[in-house]
Formats: sequence, C-alpha cells, structure tokens
Amino acid sequence: MHVDELPLVIFTIFAQMSVGAFVVLGVVHLLARRRASTATVDRLSDPALYAIGPVMVLGLAASILHLGNPLNAINVLNQLGSSWLSREILFGCAFAGLGAAFAVVQWRGWFTPVLRQVLAGVTALVGLGLVWSMAMVYMLPTVPAWNSPATPVIFFTTTFLLGALAVGSAFVWLLMVQRRRGVAVDDEVTDLVRTSLRWIAVTSIVLLGVQFVVLPTYALSLAGAGGAAATSAASLMTWGGVPLVLRLVLAFVGAGLLGVFLFKVAVAGRERLLFTVTLSAFGLVLVSEGLGRALFYESFTRIGM
Amino acid sequence: MGGQLGFYLDQNYCNGCKACQTACKDKNDLPLGVTWRRVVEYSGGTWANADETLAPNVFTYYTSVSCNHCEDPICVTVCPTGAMSKGEDGIVTVDPAKCVGCRYCEWACPYSAPQFDASAGVMSKCDLCADYLAEGKEPACVAACPSRVLKFGEIDELRAQYGDVAGVEPLPDPSITRPNLVLTPHRHAQRTGEGTGAIANPEEI
Repeated sequence: MHVDELPLVIFTIFAQMSVGAFVVLGVVHLLARRRASTATVDRLSDPALYAIGPVMVLGLAASILHLGNPLNAINVLNQLGSSWLSREILFGCAFAGLGAAFAVVQWRGWFTPVLRQVLAGVTALVGLGLVWSMAMVYMLPTVPAWNSPATPVIFFTTTFLLGALAVGSAFVWLLMVQRRRGVAVDDEVTDLVRTSLRWIAVTSIVLLGVQFVVLPTYALSLAGAGGAAATSAASLMTWGGVPLVLRLVLAFVGAGLLGVFLFKVAVAGRERLLFTVTLSAFGLVLVSEGLGRALFYESFTRIGM
Repeated sequence: MGGQLGFYLDQNYCNGCKACQTACKDKNDLPLGVTWRRVVEYSGGTWANADETLAPNVFTYYTSVSCNHCEDPICVTVCPTGAMSKGEDGIVTVDPAKCVGCRYCEWACPYSAPQFDASAGVMSKCDLCADYLAEGKEPACVAACPSRVLKFGEIDELRAQYGDVAGVEPLPDPSITRPNLVLTPHRHAQRTGEGTGAIANPEEI
C-alpha cells in the first residue's frame, strides 16, 4: 500500500466526518428540543458544534498537501461548469464557511433561533452536497472500480457512521470535562446524552450492516467484471489482506460489538464506562474507515495503459 | 490551420525500437520519469495442438502511444483549473501557469498522456510539437521513426486513407474519449475488451 494518497485519505475522511457530525448534531438538536428546553439542548450541542470546525479545516488543509503547485490553488474553482473537482472544493469551502458562520451566530446569540435554524439547515444541505460531489469526483468512466454506485454509498456510510460516533464522543467528553471541573451537570442534560447515545449506537449498528452488505458485493462484482476492475479487486487484498481484514474486524468491534454494548450501558451504566465505550467505538471505527479509504485509493486501476 | 490533427501507426511494421520515444524525450528535454510517447508491448499466446504435438502459438505487437488529442478529452473535462484545454487547432495542451498539480487528469486519461513533472509540481504533456508544426516540420517522434510507420496529419485524411481503427488492446475503448488516432492493426492484434495477453513492459510505460 502506498502512502502518496495520505492527504486525500485525511481530507475525505475528515470532511465526511465533519458533514456527518453536523447533520447528526442537527437531528439530535431537533429531536431533543421536543423533550428539553432550547437552552438545555444548546448547552450540550454547542461545544460539539465548535469541535467540527477544526476537523473540517484540518481536512481542507490536508487536501492542499495533495497539490503539486499549491500557489495556483485559487484556480481550482475555475471549471465549476465541467469539473466535479471544482464543485467539490466549492462545496467544501461553502460548508466550512457556512458552518463557521452558524457557529458564530449560535455562540453570540445573533438573529432569531428560527433564522439560525434555517442557516444550519442550509449548511447541512451544502455538506451533503459536498459528500455527493466527493463521490462524483471518483466516478470516472476510465476507472471502473470507482465508477460504481458503491462509491457514493461508501462515502455516505462513512459520513454518518463517523459523524454519529464523533457526536457521541463529543457528548461524553463534555460530561466528563464538566464532572472533572466539578460543574454540576443537570439530569436533563445527562438524560439527553444517554438517549442520544442509544440512537447513535443503533445508527452505527445499522450502518455497519450496510457496509457488510455493500463491501463484499462490490468486491465480488469487480472481480467478476474482469479487466481493470478485476485488477482493482485483487489490489483490495494488498499486503496479504491484512489491511482489509483489520478494517473489517475494527468496524465489527467498534460499530458492532461496542455498538451493542453502548446501547445497553447508555441506559444505566456508569458515566466512566460510557465514556470509555463511546470513545473506543469512535477510535476503532475511525482507524477502520481510514484503512478502508486507503484501500479505496489502492484499488485505483485505469482502463487502457 | 487546417482540420483536427492526429497520429497514425501501422502496428504490423512497428518493431518496438523506441526511436519515437527517445526523439520525443530529447526534443522536449523531458526529465526522468516523464515520457510523453511510450511504446507498449502487448504479448500473449496459447498452445496449438497439431497431431498430438503441442506447439507454442504466441504473439507480440507494439503500439507507440502519446496524447491522442481526443475529440472529447477526459483530461479537459475533469481539470478543475482550466489549465488543460483543447485549442482551436484541436491540440490538447496544459498551461503550467494555471495547473495546480492535483494530478486528476493523470487518474482519468486512459493513455497516460498527462504526466506529472515532479520538479515543477505541475502536469506536462505532448503538444504535438506545435513549435515544429509552425515551422512546417514534422513532430519529432514522426520524423524519427526508422520504419516510417508513425505518421501524423489531418485526421480526416488519415481515416480516409487508413480506416478508423483505434480499439486495439491494450488501448481503451475509443468510444470513451474518441481519440484522434488511426491504427493499421497488427495481424495478431486483439480488439479492445477481447484481449488474452498482457502488457509485457509495464515498467517502461
């Protein structure tokens, strides 16, 4: 496995995680407001919101490392009419900009809550547009392994799997920090975290299921297609299959086993256990997704010569 | 300037000497690792059974390939900067002053025509020796061919004279990019998608 594409692994994973976290946080916010006051929900979701920014910026920064001549970086927006890469960067910058704007107005309490919600909704849609354009970048008719419906499915699965677990991790982290500082956490917030974690656990188990259906189907369809596609399928087994097996095992343990465990301990488990389980699940799935993305680039094989 | 220009190769008499490749490299002063014109060797074979005697039945043929200045160039479509463009004369060129070096065209082109110049950090490619053409000379690769089987000219004339075959292994399906390339296929040439051989010199292309 070559590491040339490491900047792109970091960019795609971090950008997708940021979009996923933003969308999941929005859903949690909308649902939580039915049972708790906006102020309470904001106390929980705002710190998580602020954490998304640095991750997205880090992703965009990594993408610059991919360029041979970053001095010309401004030109990448020139071909919005034809190039999905131009569109990807536009969506990426728009998502980062709108997200930052939303974080600022949320922090300062500017505008009405409804207006802020509209801004958040637009940001989420632009984020989903970013993930879609990222997938379209790879849908090249000359690269059969990427020119597959599996590409958008895999990208969106990564988005929501990492997004959900990242939001869960931010929540338990927040509780732990407040506990350490001796700040009294009200039961309403703790309840919200526990309920959210249950749904996050369910989400990750379902998305793991999606991966475990899509990945073998995708790999076997490549192998069966012959030619460049079959070469790609074979390259998924690079390094004796160790990265692939590790990726699958980590996903199973992180999203599957720990997901089930999280679902159970979220009801009444001790906070420390909740913290450990959520962060472990997130860490394992993050490594698994990173390996998966590296294999995605490894599978590059063009038709022709 | 006349119509769209393209290349013609008679595979039957290309012996893989790589004079075209060397001439290109020399004329354009290409750095190590950048080879705009490459000669790909495609080989394969089976056993022929005659009177219970198995005899090898093998083939090899060469294809000299650079940029085919496609009708519908995928490198131009995917380029985010507009550095890659198809000029009025039909020649596809890359402008190093605009190129960001993202290498997306390199991923996309099924002929490996756009190549990354690591020292400059930008892409580079065959411009059909536009400077030579302006002087009324032939491209360096064409002029160098000792077998006189590599030619260039207006693609309509080449097609009228030699037919319209470009879908030969290991070249990609010409319907994707519509290359301005005409081949007289080798007598053992295999059609794209029906190949039983393999590229024998991957390290050279």
